[in-house]
Amino acid sequence: MLDIEQIQKILPQKYPFLMIDRVLELEHQKKVVALKNVTINDGFFEGHFPEQPIMPGVLIIEAMAQASIVLFSADKGKGEEKKVAYFLGAVKARFFHPVYPGDQLKITVEPVKMISGAAIVNAVACVGEIEVAKCELSFSAKEGS
Amino acid sequence: MQDLENEIRNIIAEIIEKEPSQITLDAKFYEDLDVDSMMALEILAAMEKKYKIAIPEDKMAQMTTLRATMDVAREYIGKKA
Repeated sequence: MLDIEQIQKILPQKYPFLMIDRVLELEHQKKVVALKNVTINDGFFEGHFPEQPIMPGVLIIEAMAQASIVLFSADKGKGEEKKVAYFLGAVKARFFHPVYPGDQLKITVEPVKMISGAAIVNAVACVGEIEVAKCELSFSAKEGS
Repeated sequence: MQDLENEIRNIIAEIIEKEPSQITLDAKFYEDLDVDSMMALEILAAMEKKYKIAIPEDKMAQMTTLRATMDVAREYIGKKA
């Protein structure tokens, strides 16, 4: 399990763009399960939508992408100050249910194919037992100087 | 073998969003067909799924044309049998 301090050491994303709060399970190159607690204080609800707060689908994908980065990079260069930039290559997503304030998003990511500089993963997001979105993501990682 | 050629051609065509007819045996992925490294990985993953094989990462560098990609696929389909 990883808490938010450990997650922040892994992810290049920073406040206010951290879309996962906790990692529940991390199985080396096999699986990650992460949580995002959705709250009305999340800034995006102010505009999406003023009368009807719904978590934007693209941010659910972002949460999936951040969980994928944890899966991809957790064991690589732990504690080292390497600057890695991640680029999404392709996203195939389907959304089944809206996500509201108060929901707890549970994101499970499993690799389809992982190589040293890139990966394709399958991600599923659930609220309780209900699947709210699923997605295939491909991304590459490039080390900066 | 014609089947394998057409199957892999169709896999590639779908991923790189080109007409199958453009993917000749020796058209170069990177120079002629605008394939990028993410697409190459998707092609690799799609072949692994279709043929239930595992292709190591270092073989990706060899997969620069349909002909070369078929050679790699054959090598691993053969190993499985």
